[in-house]
Amino acid sequence: MALLYGLLWRLLLALLRVKRALMSWLRGRLRNRGGSLWERMAAALLLPAALPTDSQKKLERSPVSGSRADTGSRRAQWLADGKALEKLPVHVGLMVAEEEPSFTDIANLVVWCMAVGVSYVSVYDHHGIFQKNNSHLQEEIMRQQQNLLGLDGSKYNVEVLSNGGDEHQHCVVSCRPTVKVLSPEDGKHSIVQAARKLCHAVENKERSSRDINVSMLDVMLRESKNIPDPELVVKFGPVNSTLGFLPWHIRLTEFVSVPSHRNVLYEDLYGALQRYGVCQQRLGQ
Amino acid sequence: MPKHVAFIMDGNRRFARKKNMERQEGHMQGFNKLAEVRFFFNSCGEMHAITGHIFTPLNPFCLSHQTLRWCKQLSIPEVTVYAFSIENFKRTKEEVDGLLDLARQKFERLLEERENLEKHGVCIRVLGDLNMLPLDLQQLIAKAVLTTKTNNKCFLNVCFAYTSRYEITNAVREMAWGVEQGLIKASDVSEALLSECLYSNNSPNPDLLIRTSGEVRLSDFLLWQTSHSCLVFQSVLWPEYTFWNLCEAILQYQLNHKSIQKARELHREEQALQQLEADRACVADLLQHQGNGKPADAKRRQEALHLCTASREARVQDFLQALKQKRNHFFSDLYGEAVSAYESQS
Repeated sequence: MALLYGLLWRLLLALLRVKRALMSWLRGRLRNRGGSLWERMAAALLLPAALPTDSQKKLERSPVSGSRADTGSRRAQWLADGKALEKLPVHVGLMVAEEEPSFTDIANLVVWCMAVGVSYVSVYDHHGIFQKNNSHLQEEIMRQQQNLLGLDGSKYNVEVLSNGGDEHQHCVVSCRPTVKVLSPEDGKHSIVQAARKLCHAVENKERSSRDINVSMLDVMLRESKNIPDPELVVKFGPVNSTLGFLPWHIRLTEFVSVPSHRNVLYEDLYGALQRYGVCQQRLGQ
Repeated sequence: MPKHVAFIMDGNRRFARKKNMERQEGHMQGFNKLAEVRFFFNSCGEMHAITGHIFTPLNPFCLSHQTLRWCKQLSIPEVTVYAFSIENFKRTKEEVDGLLDLARQKFERLLEERENLEKHGVCIRVLGDLNMLPLDLQQLIAKAVLTTKTNNKCFLNVCFAYTSRYEITNAVREMAWGVEQGLIKASDVSEALLSECLYSNNSPNPDLLIRTSGEVRLSDFLLWQTSHSCLVFQSVLWPEYTFWNLCEAILQYQLNHKSIQKARELHREEQALQQLEADRACVADLLQHQGNGKPADAKRRQEALHLCTASREARVQDFLQALKQKRNHFFSDLYGEAVSAYESQS
């Protein structure tokens, strides 16, 4: 009996795998053959009046003189979108659970987040690729900012924080949008380091083990930068796991999944924000 | 197949509210389901539901009993459930008392069914800070934990007076205690050691975490342990959870298995690297003290590294042994108190 069940299960799984493979193959094929045509077609079908897709954006960007007014109205639209939400997260995490992350798409997402009115954006991948290529990401964000928001750099000046980025501490005071680049190092490892610090203090008789409490650890893990915990994490990719994303900080974080971050659209992000907007937290009550 | 599944059973109050409209039916369902109740302690299911309709608590009770049976049929040996969060103490006093009363009943019933538990080899563990609970409930829990301690076919972990942040903090506190006692050094603190100090130190990390009723957050549950687990959020309310929902979740897990395994491997490598780094730092320290400023050659360095690693491991072993004893004492003391109180009464 158990054997039969086992076989049945295997069959079901195999079927599901075949379906999945077929779907991704079809998608890839259509994309390859049609190229931007396919994307534009899909965009035309799915989002008639909505924002342009990536390929269209590139076309639009070339005439600089005309794009200025365009970006202005788009920016106003995004800001209005943010205001229209019931509640807007202060801190959004963007988590890429895919191989070979695309910097341009992530930069787009960061810029959209800020345009909508999010103050802190964290970018994470479990290989630590973004952190290793921090400056590349920063450049890309600057570029996309100009492309999407126009040249008005003073208003949306970004500070990119990363490990050892202490010289940037002032930016929290100045209320500018802040981008934080995270890797698995910032997760469990930072908790262990905080624990080690506390144990050192105990070793030197500066502190007693009884004094240690949740808020003490919490303060230490905020690294004096007083950034709030992310209220929303948008996860890109097919893997349903946090893959080591800041275990301490995601206590009350809402997770919203988007299939892929490649060629991601503003609508995908806005959909996630809308989902966050309607959720209710009871906080144990 | 996942070896360890964690549940956040959400949606009982919503279910009760939904069903209140058809009260008569709710009554019937409650009574019908009552007959099925056998021995398992359910967890948060009924606890949340007590605020709803008086008979609805029975539904989730039977259902989680069923869930455990399904898990057994699917040969999943370990289940962890979120029964009562520290945050739940914020509810009104009436409600909290009600929930604790219910827990009392459930543990009592569990103890009555001792033989059944033994027959199925069910080991019950309670994760959380028991000190926050009334003494008689603590004693009951200690009794339940101690009587099922030797069973080893399946494991039911009940998170009671639990939040994950509290658990991590408690682990740090235990390590600081070890430092105070002179058992370990502050430099011995590592990810692996912290994991060993958590309430869940006897279980492997869950492979799969299921949350029902469409909420998409962890609510301070097993944050540390699920960092490389498959998370499945299902929109079905807990009392309406069926076998097929469970199968769906397991299928999701199996589809994700490969990539999660890869991420886990990566994480393990990183962890080993960090440990090596810590040991190297220890070596550098040691050589500076001994070396009189002379640069050490590679061979001496290697020897020192071995020495450092071995002595660290020995310290950690001792410390973990002491910690285990401390925890066992806590339970056996509670149990002893209960017995003596009982004797003095009779």
